[in-house]
Amino acid sequence: MSDDSNGGSRPRLKLGGHLVPGLAAVGLFAVLALVFLQSSFGEAQGFEQGASITASIGYAMFNIDPDAVSGAVVSGEGFVVAFVLIAIALDVAIDGAVFLAKRDDEEGGIGAVLTDGGREIRETLRGGDD
Amino acid sequence: MFAQPEAYLVLSAAIFCIGVFGLLTRRNALLFLMSVELMLNAANINLVAFSFYWGNVTGQTFSLFTMALAAAEVAIGIGIILVLYRNFKDIDVTEATTMRW
Repeated sequence: MSDDSNGGSRPRLKLGGHLVPGLAAVGLFAVLALVFLQSSFGEAQGFEQGASITASIGYAMFNIDPDAVSGAVVSGEGFVVAFVLIAIALDVAIDGAVFLAKRDDEEGGIGAVLTDGGREIRETLRGGDD
Repeated sequence: MFAQPEAYLVLSAAIFCIGVFGLLTRRNALLFLMSVELMLNAANINLVAFSFYWGNVTGQTFSLFTMALAAAEVAIGIGIILVLYRNFKDIDVTEATTMRW
């Protein structure tokens, strides 16, 4: 004797339109895998034997000429401009995160950052007539 | 040690599609951030794999910049989720249908 016919507590697969977005992602993978597996690549060139990859990344990141240093170096493009741009982007991101995380009701109080040189506090203490 | 480039491409496509799946099916804003992170890291796999394929460190260097950009994106994303929770008492992305504040 069981109530499975009435639903019971067994988990059931719910089919319906809400599955479409998930199936779209699976379908995207199927298409991508099909294309990638049908494509053909040659043999990989690989890195030079004995070359230090970490050092090579450092040289590429700061535009250091590989001929000026000792040891085997894997060639790469210069990235110093991108490095500075990313540094600025991270700086802006941390400022934005702090700005978003700050509570609105603290903005006028003493707890918040004084962006007006403390003028508001002075006016509050002196009564504003100055 | 280096598998065929197709293997890396399929791995990357799988991780990318897991990210797309998460974006399309989840409602929690934190899981959205995780999904975007998966998609960015799928790109990193391709950059590193083809860096070795061409014998050039440009791809590996660029993947470092992608990681830094992902960190910046998460910093802003967490801040937005914090504000979302304050205003809606929830981080369900379907709840936030108004921009009143």
